[in-house]
Amino acid sequence: MSLQRQVIAPPVPGLDAARSFAQPMSMVVRGGEFLFVSGLTAVDPQTGERIRGTTMSETDRILANLKLLLEAAGSSFDKVVKVNVLVHSMLEAPNMNEVFARVFPEPPPARTVCGARLPDGVKVMIECTALA
Amino acid sequence: MTEKLSRSTIQPKNPVLNVSRSANLPHVPGIRIGDYLFLSGMGPTDPNTGGRNHGPIGEQVRTTLNNVKHMLESAGSSLERVVKVHVVLADISHMDEMDRVYREFFPVNPPARTAWSMQLRFGNGCEIECLALVD
Repeated sequence: MSLQRQVIAPPVPGLDAARSFAQPMSMVVRGGEFLFVSGLTAVDPQTGERIRGTTMSETDRILANLKLLLEAAGSSFDKVVKVNVLVHSMLEAPNMNEVFARVFPEPPPARTVCGARLPDGVKVMIECTALA
Repeated sequence: MTEKLSRSTIQPKNPVLNVSRSANLPHVPGIRIGDYLFLSGMGPTDPNTGGRNHGPIGEQVRTTLNNVKHMLESAGSSLERVVKVHVVLADISHMDEMDRVYREFFPVNPPARTAWSMQLRFGNGCEIECLALVD
C-alpha cells in the first residue's frame, strides 16, 4: 500500500498565499506520516495581503499563521520536526530568534537558519516539516 | 512501535545524470527511506552530453525539472508524488520566469514549495531538490 499524498487546504482563504500571489504551490501537503509546509511569508490571514514590517514582526506573523495551518491539518507546534528559516540578513537572525524562542514549546524542533535573497522584498520566510 | 525503515541509494537510469559520480561529489543522487525519496539538489545538466545547460533561466529550469522527473521515475515515483520542493535560484529576479516553467511540470495539486535565491555552484542558474513518495 502506497503512502498517502494529500493537499491540505488552509483554514481561511487569507492563508492561501499560493492563491493570493498566484504561486504554483500548495501551502500544506501531507505525505505519509509527515506534513510539509511551504515557505511562508508574512500575510494578513483575513485579507491575504502582505504585511511588511520588521524581522521581528514578520516572524511573529508567520509563526502565528503557521500555527493556524498546522492546526487545520491536525498537527501543532509540539509536533514540528524541522524548521528552516530564511532571513534577508544574518544580522537580523537574533531578532528572528527572540520571537521564535517565545513561540515554540520546549523542546523546540530541529532548525536551520540561513541568510538568503528573498522574493518580493520580504524579510523572513519560514517552512517546516511536522508530524501529521 | 513502528517497523524499522530500510535505507537504500537511488540512481538515475541515465548515468549521464549521475552528477555526484561524474563530478566526484561526496553525495548520492538520492536516498530511499521506507517509501520516502530524498533527492539531492539537481541542476541544468544536459541529459545527452552531461554538460551544463547555461542558457536562459527558463531553459535551465526546464532541463532541471526534466532531470528531476527522470530521477523520480528511475526510483519508482513521479512528479505527481512529490510532496516538497526547494527551488534555489542564483538570481532572485528570475522568480517569475522560473514559476512560468515550473507550473508546466506541476499543473494540479502542486507540492509544498520554498523558493529563494543564494549563491550556486558551477555557474548554475537554478538548483532544485525534492522529497517524494514512491508510487
